[in-house]
Amino acid sequence: MSASKPRAPGSAYMNPYLAGVGLGLVLLAAFVVMGRGLGASGAFSAVIAWLMDLVAPAHAAANEYYQGYLEGGTHPLKAWLVFEVLGLAAGALLSGLLAGRVRLSVEKGPRVGNGPRLAAAFAGGMLMAIGAHLARGCTSGQALSGGALLNAGSWAFMIMVFVGGYATAYFMRWQWR
Amino acid sequence: MIPKGIGPRLALVALALGAVALFSEPHRGPFVKLDARELGMIVDSEVDHVTPAELAAWIVEGRSDYRLLDLRSPEEYASYHIPGAENVQSPQLAGYPLLPGEKIVVYSQGGIHAAQGWMLLRALGFQGVYTLFGGLDGWTDEVLYPAPPPGDDPKARARFERAAAVAAFFGGQPRAQAGEAAATSQPVLPKLAPPAAGPVVPAAPRGKKREGC
Amino acid sequence: MNAPLYKYGLFGDEMSLVIAFVIGIGFGFFLERAGFGSARKLVSQFYLNDMSVFKVMFSAIVTAMLGVTYLGWMGVLDVDLVYLVPTWYAPQVVGGLLLGVGFVVGGYCPGTSVAALSTGRVDAMAYALGIFAGTIVYGEGYPAIKDFVNSDARGALTLPEALNLPWGVVVFTVVLIAVGGFYGATLVERRFGGAK
Repeated sequence: MSASKPRAPGSAYMNPYLAGVGLGLVLLAAFVVMGRGLGASGAFSAVIAWLMDLVAPAHAAANEYYQGYLEGGTHPLKAWLVFEVLGLAAGALLSGLLAGRVRLSVEKGPRVGNGPRLAAAFAGGMLMAIGAHLARGCTSGQALSGGALLNAGSWAFMIMVFVGGYATAYFMRWQWR
Repeated sequence: MIPKGIGPRLALVALALGAVALFSEPHRGPFVKLDARELGMIVDSEVDHVTPAELAAWIVEGRSDYRLLDLRSPEEYASYHIPGAENVQSPQLAGYPLLPGEKIVVYSQGGIHAAQGWMLLRALGFQGVYTLFGGLDGWTDEVLYPAPPPGDDPKARARFERAAAVAAFFGGQPRAQAGEAAATSQPVLPKLAPPAAGPVVPAAPRGKKREGC
Repeated sequence: MNAPLYKYGLFGDEMSLVIAFVIGIGFGFFLERAGFGSARKLVSQFYLNDMSVFKVMFSAIVTAMLGVTYLGWMGVLDVDLVYLVPTWYAPQVVGGLLLGVGFVVGGYCPGTSVAALSTGRVDAMAYALGIFAGTIVYGEGYPAIKDFVNSDARGALTLPEALNLPWGVVVFTVVLIAVGGFYGATLVERRFGGAK
């Protein structure tokens, strides 16, 4: 059943099932300790709402969307998801250092230059942000957390993520293959 | 026979746990156990309610350490409700997202549904449950349209002045005369739009927005 | 019943932020361990030569789902108090589609981009900037699309409720789908795996 082929020297990734069980236990801990799932995209939104409030407070106050992150009387960055994402960065760095995988590089296929790859990454991030807002969550908050709680909307969302990905894969071969 | 390799073994464990879980029901469900004597003593001691004036003071102060549940129909709720109230129907109380330690105030039109809701919530294990004394009728009479005191007692007069200010805050107004006005037609309930000036009315329960991804 | 601990008031908001950081460390650690700090590894899922995304995701879902089921069943965890994102089918279907497209175009999802960013992937930085830009686009456009965003609202809805099936039956079905999927994914990898 072991299909893991060594990809790059030294990058022995964890068995995906074991990593998944580990991730699942972290998620379960979030449910038990906090009564909520994991997330990621919400932290980005909090940062943007905070910046918008700094740069153009009147504009931020007039916009219902930004207000959602600003009201409540506390600092917009003093939010659960922001701290969780900071931890995410720290945990990933720890794992990367242990495995010798921390290095400045651009992830891409052999046939594409850095410029087009970075432009595509930027565009992908934009699409993802808009999609995550429509869906009320990203792969972490919806697919993973909602999936484990058997949330109906999360499962509809998850199926569509795979549909969207497979439908686009052919047209993005230039980037990856 | 135990298969080799970590994947198949984990799969076997998952299948076994999943098969047993076929019979599981993780939710609390509608069935409860209650201490009838304890509940009876609470009822007897009359510590299970807040008065309309107390609730009005909480709202004016902008307190947000309690949840206010309106047990009436959605139509009645839509036409008027006390600021900050959430509309819940009695059958939904069992699965309604309330926190165990929270202070919960329930109200209905009169008080019967609220008292029944109080009993349900207590039975479900919530400790800090209160009914609004007199229900929305009491709220209307005492907070929205307070009646002036009958005599000329200055203390009562001052109390009435304060009540009048509170009434104005909630969009109501004090009645002209004691007794007389109450006998006339039921006062019209104020529009739902919050008053222009004055202290902040508490928003929806904090943190809901940020619970998502 | 005494979990979720936070909602039973065992600690306050300040402490919850410390816990957020600790849980985040676990989250990031396992994402990176699984190789999800690499866009090439992630998108391989969509080129069928490495199905790790599916394997990790469904192992995690099955683990947490069984955990919630058993802890709730034993009366340790009050499942009703675990926050369930409400369902809005139409915007969530469209959002999922956009997210899937963004995944293959950008190479990451928000969580994995942070993992990649902290291990030095420059494209993940571009991706994160894209998220910021997309958030502003969404925030500015929100008044215009508000009606669609809030359409098709179903409230907090679980699959057992939506399908009118007992919870346990859905749990077992998800386990069967996952295990079947793992087997299928291994076959697919065997077929397409060498195509790198």
